[in-house]
Amino acid sequence: MKAAAAGYIRANDLPHAISLLEQSRGEARILAGGQSLIASLNLRLAGETALIDINGVAELSGIELVGEQLRIGALTRHRELASSDLVARHVPAIAQAAPLIAHAAIRNRGTIGGSLAYADPAAELPACMLALDAQIVVRGPAGERRVRAGDFFVDLFTTDLAEDEMIVAVEVPVAVAGERQATMELARRSGDYALAGIVLVDRPSGVRAAFFGVGPTPILATGAMAAIDRGASPDEAAALLEGDLQPLDDVHAPAAVRLHLARVLLRRALAATRS
Amino acid sequence: MNTQFVGQPIRRVDGRLKVTGGARYAADFNLDEHVYAVIVNATVGLGRIVSIDQAAATRLPGVIAVISHLNAPRLAYHPHKGAIDPATGERLHVLQGDQVRFYGQPVAVVVADTLDQAERAAAALSITYAAKRPAVDPSASDTTEIMAEASKGPKAYYPADTARGDADAALATAPVRIDAFYDTARENHNPMEPHATVARWDGDRVTLWSKTQFVVNEQAEIAAIFGIPTENVQVISPFVGGGFGTTLRTWSHVTIAALAARQVGRPVKLALTRKQMFFTTGHRPRSLQRVALGATPDGKLTSIVHEGRGETSRYEEFIEALTAGTGFMYSCPNVRTQYRIVPLDTGTPNHMRGPGEAQGMFALECAMDELSYELGIDPIELRRRNEPEIDESTGKPFSSRSLMPCYDRGAELFGWAQRNPAPRSMRDDREYVGMGCASATYPVLFSPTRARARLLADGTAEIEVAASDMGPGTYTSMTQVAADALGLPLDNVRFSLGRSDFPPAPPHGGSQTMASVGSAIRAACAAVLEAAARNREVRPIEAEGSAQRDPEVAARFSMHSFGAVFAEVGIDSDVGTIRVRRALGVYGAGRIVNPRLALSQCTGGMVGGIGMALMERTMLDARDGRLVNAHMADYLMPVNLDIDRLEAHFVDEEDPHVNPLGVKGLGEIALVGMAPAIANAIFHATGTRLRNLPISIENVLTA
Repeated sequence: MKAAAAGYIRANDLPHAISLLEQSRGEARILAGGQSLIASLNLRLAGETALIDINGVAELSGIELVGEQLRIGALTRHRELASSDLVARHVPAIAQAAPLIAHAAIRNRGTIGGSLAYADPAAELPACMLALDAQIVVRGPAGERRVRAGDFFVDLFTTDLAEDEMIVAVEVPVAVAGERQATMELARRSGDYALAGIVLVDRPSGVRAAFFGVGPTPILATGAMAAIDRGASPDEAAALLEGDLQPLDDVHAPAAVRLHLARVLLRRALAATRS
Repeated sequence: MNTQFVGQPIRRVDGRLKVTGGARYAADFNLDEHVYAVIVNATVGLGRIVSIDQAAATRLPGVIAVISHLNAPRLAYHPHKGAIDPATGERLHVLQGDQVRFYGQPVAVVVADTLDQAERAAAALSITYAAKRPAVDPSASDTTEIMAEASKGPKAYYPADTARGDADAALATAPVRIDAFYDTARENHNPMEPHATVARWDGDRVTLWSKTQFVVNEQAEIAAIFGIPTENVQVISPFVGGGFGTTLRTWSHVTIAALAARQVGRPVKLALTRKQMFFTTGHRPRSLQRVALGATPDGKLTSIVHEGRGETSRYEEFIEALTAGTGFMYSCPNVRTQYRIVPLDTGTPNHMRGPGEAQGMFALECAMDELSYELGIDPIELRRRNEPEIDESTGKPFSSRSLMPCYDRGAELFGWAQRNPAPRSMRDDREYVGMGCASATYPVLFSPTRARARLLADGTAEIEVAASDMGPGTYTSMTQVAADALGLPLDNVRFSLGRSDFPPAPPHGGSQTMASVGSAIRAACAAVLEAAARNREVRPIEAEGSAQRDPEVAARFSMHSFGAVFAEVGIDSDVGTIRVRRALGVYGAGRIVNPRLALSQCTGGMVGGIGMALMERTMLDARDGRLVNAHMADYLMPVNLDIDRLEAHFVDEEDPHVNPLGVKGLGEIALVGMAPAIANAIFHATGTRLRNLPISIENVLTA
């Protein structure tokens, strides 16, 4: 089935994109990689909507080291994340996550900004941002603001973005000396959204574990994290996940299985970062 | 016979057309002035349409017609039973009344200038229903099993009951017993190409560009439904983008396309969405089975009991080969089979690759594996000890049977000797590793077929049969057969199929196309050569030939293909994920016409078997019959990354009895043994016997 798009306009630059967004009064959607949006339109899950194509907006591309932050443009494709030396060196959790996203054709088109704005709770990159305590750089008619990942993912497919705002970049703290990171997931079928996944950022100052596929948003396992920082064993920490996560039953797995998988992933991720 | 091309790994003659987009599938046909039809499907699982408010839809731009039972003409629906239709019951009469028999039943069709307009208007239709709770679970207490009319009596093709000896008494006294229940899921075929029909009327004649695996039946059925002479219907179906059985029947959308085209007086294009394919194009019925085996301590079977239940609809009795293999697979003096069906408020099921055998052999072959562990006998050795001399269910000899040669060759190629027979004994890092095997079988069908051959003045030949090519390579293999029969180079033979004005072919299903169409082509080629020898002047010159099974041969022999399938699985010990690390099938399938295509067909079937074993399940909501996962994100089928090493091999097998070409067919058998081989490998890996398909992570974890 073909998409039911009510209109299409290509933004020339960032101010143009913002002004188009403002003019649309919430009736338009940003088209980046289109890997979820176009499928939603095709399936009529998203209503007839105008598309603002930002693929020609140069300011949104590129990965650069800015002080202690890695700035990743919103239009950066998953494939670029997977092959970037900067990403591999400074935020290995993202380098590990990128190849787990869907299939090669989707990674070639899909963007980090698109993934974060869509906010699928089973997606890898939102959990990466949460575990890494990244800032989402958002711009609207009133200018730019930064939102911490922990405040950005509000609910199922729901973010802190206002109608007239768009993601322009993320700023991710780079790994400090002695820091180890691990991203892992489990799926029934290769390339599918994970039944459960973890992004573990193991810093000398403390551990951050974000899970995906086990609740309405990516979830920071604060109980387990505190236990690990207190010196609890991986098994003890894993036992606390029941209080941290909110898995649901669905056609692919019961909640109890997802919780079990999350526990195994926590133990495995800890084994990886502390081996 | 001349075998310059038959037996050679010829590349697909239509390969270039397919990869360049030159192959035209049903929905690729565009006619002048054609418009689009979109079906509206019932959103209740049982009940009655109370009202249809079409005012809003009719006002939308481009809308030409909204057709429902309120305004559709009464169609003739003359009696018609194609070779593939259930013998008992009556097909869905579409848009003829207010009854809703299953969720997703077509209740209206919208015709508009463009597809977008038709979709929009379809969504704007407001329909109210008086709904009742449907029965959709064959294991629930609100269902009742019945004996299908067509399965009654000893001469039935799929008998409801068969018995030799006293299986129950022998089971009760057997020194070693296995008695277990198996449950296989409802599946949908899900070919790549959606069903589609483009219909155009010229007076009282209609042309259908349509996706079908049974060209002449589509013609006859539409003629019967509209009450017009058969020759007034022309079906054109040059390419079929996968079928697996779903396009064997002429489903309701074909009628709707023709009806809509006649109502609006313009050609109509109608393509189903993926979701609609789940509603109205058949499915593999769920099966509930019991298999009990009795044996002596040295592994000689003394009793086999196989009781199976399958789903059907309320309006047709669908039956298939659920218990058909059980009587002849192994030597055993006491065998009883029982087959019942459970009518449900769903659409009628349909044959899906390896129909019946896939589920029935799953139960039988898992039970044989269970018995092998119970006895402490290698599963291949157990089958060897029960290898029959003849088909004990009929008393006839097999025309050929290579089951044990398949096992022997497979065991060697697979490295079966490396298997530690103890369950849960083999590991590879974090994975428990298991190896399993299973037998496969499928009958050798051969149906009456005609073919036309024509020699042209330029030395080339044209061959025509109303056959189909859903992907196995009919175009290529038939070109090989004809080139050999005529003594011509491949490039000088043009084989055409998929038109109802060509000589009739049987359904492109049941693994019989090579046998039936190939034999008819040989006959037609011989006839045209003879005619050409008599008359050396006239070109083009044409002749027809036909082929069918000699009833005397059919009376003398039991004719089946056999195969041995091996699988190795790896199971993550902590999380229960199951991976088929490698699989291998060896088949005794008579002459292999094209090893390249045969390999492709067999590995494709094995992938289908992996799907059946580990992923595929159509889920219905018990409250309203809604299909919960009617799309490709939630109805899981394996993707390339899920498939590791697959091999298919063929033992040399000469069978002069089955048909003139000596071929047995491959389409079905390639799927049949895969699921039990995997389930048996999972037991070997884990020590846990899982009898319900598909086997998923939670089954492994909670076992």
